[in-house]
Amino acid sequence: MDRSLALVIAVTLIMTVASASQAAETVWSGLVMAENVAQPQPIPPELTRIEGSLKRFFGYNQFQVIGQSQKLLRTGQEDWLATSKFFGLHVDARGESHAGYVLNLKLYKEKELLLETEAKLSKRSPLVIKGPQVGGGQLLLVLVVQ
Amino acid sequence: MKPFEEAWTAWLDDQLTGRELSEFLASLPDKPAAEAEKAEAKRLGGLLRRELSAHSMTNEEFFSHQLREKITQETPKPTRAGARQTVTSTWWSIPRLLCTGAVSLAIFLIFTVAVMRERNPAEESQYLSQILNARVDPVVSPNATVSIFEVKQDRVTVLWTEGLQSLPADYAAK
Repeated sequence: MDRSLALVIAVTLIMTVASASQAAETVWSGLVMAENVAQPQPIPPELTRIEGSLKRFFGYNQFQVIGQSQKLLRTGQEDWLATSKFFGLHVDARGESHAGYVLNLKLYKEKELLLETEAKLSKRSPLVIKGPQVGGGQLLLVLVVQ
Repeated sequence: MKPFEEAWTAWLDDQLTGRELSEFLASLPDKPAAEAEKAEAKRLGGLLRRELSAHSMTNEEFFSHQLREKITQETPKPTRAGARQTVTSTWWSIPRLLCTGAVSLAIFLIFTVAVMRERNPAEESQYLSQILNARVDPVVSPNATVSIFEVKQDRVTVLWTEGLQSLPADYAAK
């Protein structure tokens, strides 16, 4: 009897935690400057899991976050802005599915729209957008469901 | 003088004579009962001698020989037909097992491939992020192009732009 009760409680707790973790997830969006330097700084923790991919795809040895935003999504309809001094990434979430979030992304240089895209951000797959060349480096936009 | 037991045994075997016999007979408390017992012992002795002598072995070699003969007689000699039958039955059981295993494996593989083919596209689309559409301002960057990479190995989706307006290094400021 006691064992059954404990089992029911455990299952209920697990389901509650699971559903809670499904209901609210954090999306990290960042403006990242990729450069080749003599002594590269350590990669920011948000990018650690895709460090190898970034270096392989873009050929740079240093990735620094110049603007970022962490947004906790509850309804999947939120919008937010990640900004640096000159750039702004506006993210507009337009719904959540089992696979992830449908996002409308707009990259601004000051008030000028450079790029607009609509993407489905998977909960298990980061999204990287190659932005404009900035000096000797490259602006990257990175979105990750944490 | 012999003790009573020894004298009793000797009397039963008719080994007592003369004075020893008369003294022993005189010492018996119940002579008719003793005579009856002697007769019974003689009858039993005769029976045992008769029965045991029929199965007695002369020596170990003879016994072993008899035993081997018995084993040889009782073990059926394998004939050609018998051997063929044995081989045939083994041949049937092993191939049957092999065939059953192969058929089961084939069915499993067919179903696995079918299910995987059916599920893979959906799984991949759920697994990787997707770029649904992308647009670059043609006024600002008239020669810009976009392409999409889905690197399944790294689980990363990349929107690759070329020809965007290049900016001075000052724009890298935080």
